[in-house]
Amino acid sequence: MVEKLNEYLELVMLIGAPLYIAAVILYSVRLLKGPTIPDIILAVDCLSYDLAVFLMALTLYYKTPFLVAPSIMLALWVYLLDVYVSKYLVTREVGK
Amino acid sequence: MIELILFWTGACLFIVGGVFDLLAAIGMIRFPNFYVRLHAATIGAIYGAVVPLIGISLMALGSPDIPSRYAVAGASLVTALILLVVSPVGSHVLAYAAHKSRSVPWSPVVDALEEDEEK
Repeated sequence: MVEKLNEYLELVMLIGAPLYIAAVILYSVRLLKGPTIPDIILAVDCLSYDLAVFLMALTLYYKTPFLVAPSIMLALWVYLLDVYVSKYLVTREVGK
Repeated sequence: MIELILFWTGACLFIVGGVFDLLAAIGMIRFPNFYVRLHAATIGAIYGAVVPLIGISLMALGSPDIPSRYAVAGASLVTALILLVVSPVGSHVLAYAAHKSRSVPWSPVVDALEEDEEK
């Protein structure tokens, strides 16, 4: 039963991981090309969400629970990035 | 049996999320300006991150040999809920700032927000 599940897990990762890696490559193209600042921030958003999902998938693949915490941190960090960049774009200062 | 059902439900959600993520990435490349790309990015955030995280949570519940699998499943679900709240707020804030600071060059047919601000 357990060995069967391990085989299934490898199969699912074999199908799923290339999709996410291809998406990361395309988002990186937009990150490097992005003509304006909001485009770049949007690409960083999507990259970080992808990275959060990929860390969770690696948690299952390598069977270690230590990769779980950075995923939550990434989700919250990206929200902070959005808010501070937007505040800078509107008011031209970050503090207060 | 219940483990197999949980595992395959989660695996389906994970792979469907990967397909949506790839579609969103193609949209990010192909769409013409920032406000249209925002649509692709939001697909990439909800269908490409929240759905696969829920799927990974179910997969972790269905794999008995992962150490501390309940912790992994719970953390994955919490990340999914955080993303569900945070990503629409973040993209809305970004769209507001881009419009307010006029940093995106575009030629709209109708811009009701601009007309309202001019009044």
